[in-house]
Amino acid sequence: MGRRKKIVQECETLMNTPEQIRNIAIAAHVDHGKTTLTDNLLAGAGMISDDTAGEQLAMDTEEDEQERGITIDAANVSMTHEYEDTNHLINLIDTPGHVDFGGDVTRAMRAVDGALVVVDAVEGAMPQTETVLRQALREGVKPTLFINKVDRLISELQEGPEEMQKRLMSVIADVNELIRGMTEEMDDIDEDWTVSVEEGTVGFGSALYKWGVSMPSMQRTGMDFGDIMDLERSDKRQELHERTPLADVVLDMVCEHFPNPIDAQPRRIPRIWRGDDESEVAESMQFVDEDGEVVLMVTDIGVDPHAGEIAAGRVFSGTLEKGQELYVSGTAGKNRVQSVGIYMGGEREEVEEVPAGNIAAVTGLKDAIAGSTVSSVEMTPFESIDHISEPVITKSIEAKNMDDLPKLIETLRQVSKEDPTIQIEINEDTGEHLISGQGELHLEVQTQRIERNQGIPVNTGEPIVVYREAPQQPSREVEGISPNRHNRFYISVEPLEQDIVDAIKLGDASMDMPELERREALQEAGMEKDTSQNVEHIHGTNVFIDDTKGIQHLNETMELLIEGLEEALNDGPLAAEPVQGSLIRLHDARLHEDAIHRGPAQVIPAMREAVHNSLIDAEIRLLEPIQNVRIDVPNAHMGAASGEIQGRRGRVDDMYQEGDLMVVEGVAPVDEMIGFSSDIRSATEGRASWNTENAGFQVMADNLQPDKIDEIRTRKGMKLELPETIDYF
Amino acid sequence: MLTFVGLGLYDERSITVEGKEALQTATDIYAEFYTSKLIGTTIQKLEYYHDIDIEVLDRAAVEQTPDELLAAAEDGDVAFVTAGDTMVSTTHVDLRLRAEERGIHTRVIHGTTAQTAASSLTGLQNYRFGKATTLPFGDAHGSDGVPDSVVETITANRERGLHTLIYLDIKVDDPHWEGEQEFMTADHAAGLLADHLDALGVVVARAGSANPVVEADSLDALADGDYGGPLHLLVVPADLHEMERDALTTLADAPLAG
Repeated sequence: MGRRKKIVQECETLMNTPEQIRNIAIAAHVDHGKTTLTDNLLAGAGMISDDTAGEQLAMDTEEDEQERGITIDAANVSMTHEYEDTNHLINLIDTPGHVDFGGDVTRAMRAVDGALVVVDAVEGAMPQTETVLRQALREGVKPTLFINKVDRLISELQEGPEEMQKRLMSVIADVNELIRGMTEEMDDIDEDWTVSVEEGTVGFGSALYKWGVSMPSMQRTGMDFGDIMDLERSDKRQELHERTPLADVVLDMVCEHFPNPIDAQPRRIPRIWRGDDESEVAESMQFVDEDGEVVLMVTDIGVDPHAGEIAAGRVFSGTLEKGQELYVSGTAGKNRVQSVGIYMGGEREEVEEVPAGNIAAVTGLKDAIAGSTVSSVEMTPFESIDHISEPVITKSIEAKNMDDLPKLIETLRQVSKEDPTIQIEINEDTGEHLISGQGELHLEVQTQRIERNQGIPVNTGEPIVVYREAPQQPSREVEGISPNRHNRFYISVEPLEQDIVDAIKLGDASMDMPELERREALQEAGMEKDTSQNVEHIHGTNVFIDDTKGIQHLNETMELLIEGLEEALNDGPLAAEPVQGSLIRLHDARLHEDAIHRGPAQVIPAMREAVHNSLIDAEIRLLEPIQNVRIDVPNAHMGAASGEIQGRRGRVDDMYQEGDLMVVEGVAPVDEMIGFSSDIRSATEGRASWNTENAGFQVMADNLQPDKIDEIRTRKGMKLELPETIDYF
Repeated sequence: MLTFVGLGLYDERSITVEGKEALQTATDIYAEFYTSKLIGTTIQKLEYYHDIDIEVLDRAAVEQTPDELLAAAEDGDVAFVTAGDTMVSTTHVDLRLRAEERGIHTRVIHGTTAQTAASSLTGLQNYRFGKATTLPFGDAHGSDGVPDSVVETITANRERGLHTLIYLDIKVDDPHWEGEQEFMTADHAAGLLADHLDALGVVVARAGSANPVVEADSLDALADGDYGGPLHLLVVPADLHEMERDALTTLADAPLAG
């Protein structure tokens, strides 16, 4: 039996023993050596050749990751490790270190119980160390620490034992201070989660030269720091690796100090899942019940050239098997599981079943996206749709070669499925498609992926901030007249109540659901009964109401009216940006007797014009995307940090102490946040760490509207003068 | 002054003598051919035959920006020409009203039209025609297939013992149209309607030409026929009077048991 096959069999046996399972993530600042460390672990577990560990970067499966030397998507591997005569199954989720991919990190952390925090011995704890640590703790994930690149202290910086000890202790102290600050107010964590050398929750070593050391390993191997320094200095790194291999040090630490699912899930489920904790499914998740209802939280969607889409995630309850019909959160109907498997390095191994407590790879879940909750009963999802941010930056993308067009369209569709924070808009006429996402780097990475993985050379435009248009007050009744003047439509527009907008955004009310259900959902959100009964269409967060009664032939014309309505809403009257939050009522209609004279050429422009005119009468305004900004900064730089928010048309909402740092919280427009990264660094001498999350759209001040509208119209090649009826700027 | 002149059914010679004279005295002549076309001729031939210049307007120029035409009519003697009759099965009453609003004197010179050809070629009595309707191309109308209103019109007419004249869609100058076919043929139309109706139909092809085709059969059978070049129209008769039955048998080869 081959080594690999043997490992698969070992894994299959261990999958059924949750006490021997560890689900972990490695979290680190960019370039602190996370991926190289991962390869060491894989080599130690016999998954890849010992010789190539450190070079292979097995987890950086995407070509651009290997080239950039940074990790972008969370990937998954499983391995086995024997610790104190007991075999353990270790499921490892790799997490990206860059801030623009924060959604991936949170999701990965939710799927694991332990986080190995990697810190560069030379650089020490960096802002991103803090961010990922915070993300881990927020999800109730227990940390341990590995201090990497110790070889550089010895060989490169020629530090003596005392100097080195001082430096390493200060790294540990920094990390502990962060942990202490963040866990202080978490009631559900009653043990001390700070790390210590004595406890064995800190390891040191060199992922590059594959050696490691910890207090327990010193006791086991008899090698102390002095021996290690001698071998490292005399360039006997291979011997060092053989005598005290990194993988053993780290995997021992994982087995000893990270909780297994049985220990972790009772504590973590209430923290990471917002459903009813009295319910049956809550209980079955807390007790890791392999006979309970199936609950899978999808962390990642990958694509296998043969198997198609693969959903990877944590099984919190029940046992996943081929042929199961499972609900996918946020979608109607069920998906059928075609195969289940586990990850081994970059590859997937099909297995018969995957029970609770494991990380699984599933095919057949065609509706699942990263973040979906997949379950055998309908339940509160782990992540609701409102956590999936609306994109705020867009750029155009087109194939350099016309022949690549169909392939590009297919690839773009795939990309948006793998990463739900990406939205695409296909324009088959011009071939110039739009890709929208959370930030500039986010889009850049996706674009390069299309070029390299699919081999499609593309041209992309400058990144552009996405705006919205929305009515501010009810309009009067407006007449829309068809070009031949024989067809007339009487409509009005009013702002849609926020509760109803939210219900639509969350998918609580949509045209896909049965009419009666939709009616009830809308009424529950505050819509009047009569209005809810006349809903004819929902487009984005706009609702179209048909208040007419018994108009002959109107039913035949309705699709054209909707087409005109959608055209008008997609390209609002101010700057052809999407309209949101409007309620459009059709009060009356006059139609030509013959179908041919009330065709598309007549009805669509009449409706489009009527909708635009009523939006204008409803005092339509431009809305811009805003972001919540959180800056963690030493007291001395607090003024500079809050100044960076205020100087960007932003608003500081709160400032408070957390641990030894001040936290500044506020909001600022996305447009103004471009360049924030370098500005805040220079304003605070690099001492600030910061995070942003999109916080929806906000009406721009009236004095800023005309210039912004002009700017957008110029960019889009539209004529600059607005309709005369817009007289309020 | 603005004179609406119908060019008649088929070619440059289908116009009335009065219409021809009006063209000769006009200072400007505008035309639209998006509602129908003179199949037996071209604009060049029309201009050559009558020794005139014609400016052809598209739908937008007639419906949305008729200002040039109306301004010319304020100062001069403008003729606005279409195939058939300018006011039948079109929406040009709008243009006439706009002209009157501007104080422009208007008049109409009639043309022969499909409306009358339908009864004169088939022998179906014009007194017995009900509401007319147009059958649009299936995918051109926002909904798929035959619009309910078309079937409803035919059914309602038949219930009241009335014939139905069915104009067949033509696609000229329509930015929304992506199909290949420009003129709907009667066999195509009969095929569409046969899915909804089990009835007799009468095809009239190239009315106004020297060799018009008139053929009556079940809609099913008509769907398999070939009636030559455009324009076609279709009549779905109600119960037939004896004279109508004889006419259809004799003039349209109707397979009707005597």
